[in-house]
Amino acid sequence: MLKADATVSEEERFVLSNLPPSPGQKRLAIGIVLGLCIALYLVIGPFGGKQLPEVQSFVAFYTTAMFVTDSITAILLFTQFSILRSRAILVIASGYLFTALLIVPYALAFPGVFAPNGVIDGLQTSAHLYLLWHCGFPLFVIGYALSKDEDESRRLSQGKVSAAILRSVVFTVFGALAVTILCMKGEAVLPRIMLDRARFVAEWPLVVGAPIAALCATALVVLWLRRRSILDLFLMVVLCAYLIEIPPHYYPFPARFSTGWYAVRITSLISSSIVLVVLLYEITALYGGLLRAVLRQRREREARLMTGDAVAASIAHEVRQPLTAMVTTADAGLRFLDRSAPNLDKAKEAFRRIVADGHRAGDVIGSIRANFRTDVRDRTSFDLNEVIGEALALGRGDLLRHRIAVQAEPSSQLPKVIGNRSQLQQVLLNLITNAIDAMAAKDEPRILSVKSEVHEGDRVVVSIADTGTGVRSQDTDRIFNPLFTSKPDGMGMGLSICRAIIEAHEGQLWFAPNNPRGAVFHFTLRANHAASAAV
Amino acid sequence: MAEGSSWSIVAVVDDDQSVLRSLEYLLESADYAVRLFTSGKELLDSGCLPRIDCLISDIDVPGMEGFDLLRQVHAARPGLPIILITGYPDTLKRLPSFGGNSPRFFTKPFQGPELLAAISEALSRASATRS
Repeated sequence: MLKADATVSEEERFVLSNLPPSPGQKRLAIGIVLGLCIALYLVIGPFGGKQLPEVQSFVAFYTTAMFVTDSITAILLFTQFSILRSRAILVIASGYLFTALLIVPYALAFPGVFAPNGVIDGLQTSAHLYLLWHCGFPLFVIGYALSKDEDESRRLSQGKVSAAILRSVVFTVFGALAVTILCMKGEAVLPRIMLDRARFVAEWPLVVGAPIAALCATALVVLWLRRRSILDLFLMVVLCAYLIEIPPHYYPFPARFSTGWYAVRITSLISSSIVLVVLLYEITALYGGLLRAVLRQRREREARLMTGDAVAASIAHEVRQPLTAMVTTADAGLRFLDRSAPNLDKAKEAFRRIVADGHRAGDVIGSIRANFRTDVRDRTSFDLNEVIGEALALGRGDLLRHRIAVQAEPSSQLPKVIGNRSQLQQVLLNLITNAIDAMAAKDEPRILSVKSEVHEGDRVVVSIADTGTGVRSQDTDRIFNPLFTSKPDGMGMGLSICRAIIEAHEGQLWFAPNNPRGAVFHFTLRANHAASAAV
Repeated sequence: MAEGSSWSIVAVVDDDQSVLRSLEYLLESADYAVRLFTSGKELLDSGCLPRIDCLISDIDVPGMEGFDLLRQVHAARPGLPIILITGYPDTLKRLPSFGGNSPRFFTKPFQGPELLAAISEALSRASATRS
């Protein structure tokens, strides 16, 4: 049984950090990793050992760009957290904020950028900041990966979101501050990385490369084992980029301002922007998709309302004319009889006219039924389960608003049916709307069950069950009558039209009480076994 | 019971033949002379307008919108009693002003005696205004 609780996080289906990646996105991720690899090693292969001039404005540009991209990524992820309320997103958002914050002291400490020996003095400070920045981010990714499968019931309530974001920002700022102070004052406890302002120590691979590689590899494995979403995929790309960037720092020899070092700065700028670009692209694409969906739903709703209104207005108008004629002629007949010398011939003529107009009113109803029946050109062979899904999607707004849980039980063996697809969608929608209205009036658990199954071999039967007010015993004989309604603003045409449509499809529409409460409406349709066998 | 006088002519405009015939019957039962028209244009083209004493018109008649017919009739016969019938009462919200001579209206299906009483009253008022 496919069970979908309409009250649970509908918005999660449209939030990037929960969407599974498409094959195209997976190919793009692999392409980025391979592209970075090839670009980096093509550059350092022939030119790796070449020492280039110190371009301090490049470092200033690089650090500023890194700060901006990481800050915006953090903001977007915090926004995603405010929608999803998942602690995992909060952790990774804090990770991006952490890197953005560490870039500031890194730039201040880097020799020659703002002062010859850096604003924050100390030969080792910028190198230590780089080390802890690149060790810190994979730790946040590990934290993200480990907390992303948490129980949904543990998620924060909406009211606590702002407080949680504020708390995370404060902790991260203090964390970044502590790391900065450690790097400034902790030369005694941290390994020596720089020989001078340009050259790394020979042990760079061991003291810097190895810890970063170990943490990135661990994060990559943990994330791989729990991968699920687009965000997971592109975080793995970022970790791969971190790994790829390690060797050019010391190959063929360890120093700043080598060709490889400059190339790594550029690739790390690209890798830090990956999640931001993907977030922005996907948000724009999702926004476009949602806009199209909203417009489509609005058009469908308007078309549905127009259809219902037009049918009701047409019936009202067509029936009102013969009814007016009958009443007026009856009044005239009474007047002819009321005379002191009754005019019997005129009175008889009045009765004949009333009979004729009565038949005309009957013909109007008959022609409306015939309209449903003769609409053969619009009949196609289709999957009724799809139409049930569409009708539920159209009613989703009302289902959510009234906190109604939906249990859909489509039969996987259901043969196709022949009929007017849009008319049958109207029938389903009408029955679902009636069920919602019946349940909205009762403050008890609200469950809408929609089931399709094979019936007597050559038919399919669809059942729509609700836990609403049910049908009163005195109304059971007349709920399908035109103009009968139990709703204050209803026209009483819905079920009457539904039955006309189903009967025009050689099917039947009936109802029974639901257990323990509510009503179940069933309708049958003829199966199109030929089309089902051909598929 | 409201009775018409044999020389009062009532014109009826409605696109539905059965409504038209039923009104003819009702008006004959009250001894009015009746002229039937299926559109406003038919009435204006007939040349009857100067001779009729009262007009009953459906607002939703084809060919000429009911309000256009009213304006033309009002311009040609400012004091002519007019009674409107409609299947859509909301239409009357758009009814233009005709000074002190605002038409009475009835929603289909209407009560025959009430309609006859309204005709009789309108004819008496128009007659009093003329004299």
